[in-house]
Amino acid sequence: MSQSLRPYLQAVRSSLTAALTISNFASQTSERHNCPEIEANSSPEILLNPLHISRNENEKVKIEPSYNSVRISIRIKQADEIEHILVHKFTRFLTQRAESFFILRRKPVEGYDISFLITNFHTEKMLTHKLIDFVIEFMEEVDKEISEMKLFLNARARFVAESFLTPFD
Amino acid sequence: MTITGNLTTATHLHCIPSIVLPVMLLLDYQNALIQSLLTERFSGAPPASIDQVVSDFDGVTFHLSTPESKTKILISINVKCYKELVQYGAQEVLEREYGPYIVSPEPGYDFSVQIDLEALPAEEEARNDLIMKLALMKRNAMAAPFEKAFDEFNKLAEEASRYTSESAPQGIQEGGEVMAIHYREEEAIYIKANWDRVTVIFSTVFREETDRIFGKVFLQEFVDARRRVLTLQNAPQVLFRNDPPLELANVPGLNASGGEVSYVTFVLFPRHLTPQRRYENISHIQTFRDYFHYHIKASKVCGSS
Amino acid sequence: MSQINYRTINIDALDPESSANFPMESLLPATLPQAASASDAANAATQVRQMLRGGDPEGALRTVLDTAPLGGDDRAKEVHLATVIDVLQGIRQGEMTRILEGVCSGDGGAERADCLMKYLYKGMSSAAPSSGAQSPKKSVSPQDTGFSQIQARNLGEGGGGQQMSVLLSWHERLVDIAGTGSIVRVMTDRRTV
Repeated sequence: MSQSLRPYLQAVRSSLTAALTISNFASQTSERHNCPEIEANSSPEILLNPLHISRNENEKVKIEPSYNSVRISIRIKQADEIEHILVHKFTRFLTQRAESFFILRRKPVEGYDISFLITNFHTEKMLTHKLIDFVIEFMEEVDKEISEMKLFLNARARFVAESFLTPFD
Repeated sequence: MTITGNLTTATHLHCIPSIVLPVMLLLDYQNALIQSLLTERFSGAPPASIDQVVSDFDGVTFHLSTPESKTKILISINVKCYKELVQYGAQEVLEREYGPYIVSPEPGYDFSVQIDLEALPAEEEARNDLIMKLALMKRNAMAAPFEKAFDEFNKLAEEASRYTSESAPQGIQEGGEVMAIHYREEEAIYIKANWDRVTVIFSTVFREETDRIFGKVFLQEFVDARRRVLTLQNAPQVLFRNDPPLELANVPGLNASGGEVSYVTFVLFPRHLTPQRRYENISHIQTFRDYFHYHIKASKVCGSS
Repeated sequence: MSQINYRTINIDALDPESSANFPMESLLPATLPQAASASDAANAATQVRQMLRGGDPEGALRTVLDTAPLGGDDRAKEVHLATVIDVLQGIRQGEMTRILEGVCSGDGGAERADCLMKYLYKGMSSAAPSSGAQSPKKSVSPQDTGFSQIQARNLGEGGGGQQMSVLLSWHERLVDIAGTGSIVRVMTDRRTV
C-alpha cells in the first residue's frame, strides 16, 4: 500500500466509526413517516456537520451525517481521460445494480463519483464495523480495478493493432 | 460477509476475464450476405425470384434482383464516391474483373452485372471463384485508386533508379498527385505515390468523446507496434496526428474541420507493393477504418452493462 | 401571480413553527466568546508565527487552538485556518506525537483536541475546491461528446497532495490520543471553526 493511502483509509475508517452512531428517528414533518434525514433534509437541526477527508484534489471522501442516516460520497482517482471514462463505466455498472449492494445510492452526490447511504435500519441489521470494512475495501479495490481495466484496454488495443499489421508482412 | 461477497462477484462479473477477445478479429474482405446468397443459388437450388438490398460498410449498398427471369440475377452496387473512383480508373478495374457479365447500370446504382444461372461455369471451383469475385465487388471498386498508386510507384521507382537521390528531377522527388476518395460523409482516404513508397492517409471523425479517447489508445498501439514487436519490423509504418499531415498540405478544405478529425497515415514500403503482395494488401488496408472503429466499439461494450 | 404553481411552493419554509425553520442559533451555548474579526485573527497569527519561529511549536499550537474564533465571521475563520495549517506544517513528523500529548493534556486539553480535530476536517474540505465549484464540469457525462470538457477537468495527481498528507498524519495521531469521541464532537458541535 502506498505511503499516503494508509493514513487516508485510516482517517476514513475512524470518521465512519464516529459517523455511524445513528438511531431510529421518525420524521418530524410527516406523521408515521420514517425517512433518512440526510436525504429528506427536513430540518437543519438533525443534520450534523459534514466531514471531508481528502488525499488530494482528485481523491476525497465526504461524510454527511445526520440523526438516522449517513451519506458517504467518494471521489475516485482519475489520473487521465481513460481512467475518467473507466470510472464512469464502473460506477454506472454498480449503481445500476444498487439493490444488491443495499447501501449503494443510485446517484452520486454532485462532485463525487459514487455515494453510499447508510441508515439506522442497515446498522440494525448488519454489523457496523463490517459496513465500514465494506466501504474501506471498496475504496481499496476500486483503484486496483480501474488500473486493471486500463491495462486490459491497452493490451486489447495492442493485440488489435498487431493483428491488423501482421498480414502486411 | 454478504455485501463484500456481492461486491467481489459483481466486480468480477464486470471485469470480463482478460483475453476474451472477439471471435471475429479481422474483417472479411467480401460481403458475406452476397456470398451466401449466391452460393445457395449456384448450388442448383430451384430458381427463385430475388429482390434484396444488401448493405455493406461505408454506406455501400447492393441490390440483388431477378428482373427478367428467375435464372438471371442482377447485382448492382452503389458507392458514395463512385465518381471519384471512376476518375482513378474504377471502370477499367471492374471491366477487368467482371468483363463478360457487365450490363448497363440499374437506375439508382453505379455499376451492375448480370449472372445467368443457366450459363455458369461447369466446375465447382470456378463457380466458387465467381461467387467470391462477385462478393468482392466493393473491394474491387475501391481498389482502383490503390492500383493506380501502386502502378505510379512502379513507374516513379524505375525513373528514380536512373538518378542518384540528389540529382533526381523535381517530379520524381515530389511523387504523384494526392488522390482523395471521400468514401464516407466526413471521412476520406488520401493516396499518394512516391518513388520509394505509397502513402495512404485515412481521415476519421470521432463522434463521441469516449471514442476519441479510446481511439487515441488504439492508435498509439498501431504506431508503436512496429517498433515494439520484432515480427512486425516489416509492417507498414503508421503515423497519427490531429492536424492534416504535410502530404495533404495542398488539399483544400481540410483545416476548417476543427479538432474532431484525426489523420492516420500508413506508409507502404516497396516490399508491400510487389506484385505478389499487391492484391492482398490492397484488400487489407481498405478494411482499416472499419476494423479500427469496430474494435473501439467492441471495447466500449466490454465493461459496461 | 397567475403563473405561479402553488403546488410547487414549499409551504414548510413559510411556516415559522416548521422544523425546516429550526432556529439554529438556539443550539449555540451562551458561553460563546465574543465574535472575533479578521484583524483579531491576523493579530493572533502574527503572535503564533513568532512563537513558531522562536522554537516553541508546542506553545504555538496551544495558542492557536486556544484563540480559535468560534464566534467569528467567515473571514476571521479563514485567516485562522491558514494559521493553524501553517503551524501544523511547521512541525516535524517525528515531533507530532510528543507535541500532541503536551497540547492535549492539562487544563482545557480536551477542548484543544476537539478544536484541532475541527481544523483538520476543515483543512481537508477547503484546500481542495469545494464540490460546488466542481459540479458543472462533473455533471457532463463522458458519453455526451464534445471535445472540450475533459481538458477543462483537472486530472492527474491533483494539487494539495502534500498538505493533505500532513493533515492526514495529524489526524491519525490525534485519533490515537483523543479517540473517536473527538470526531463525534466535530460532527455535533455547532460552534464551528
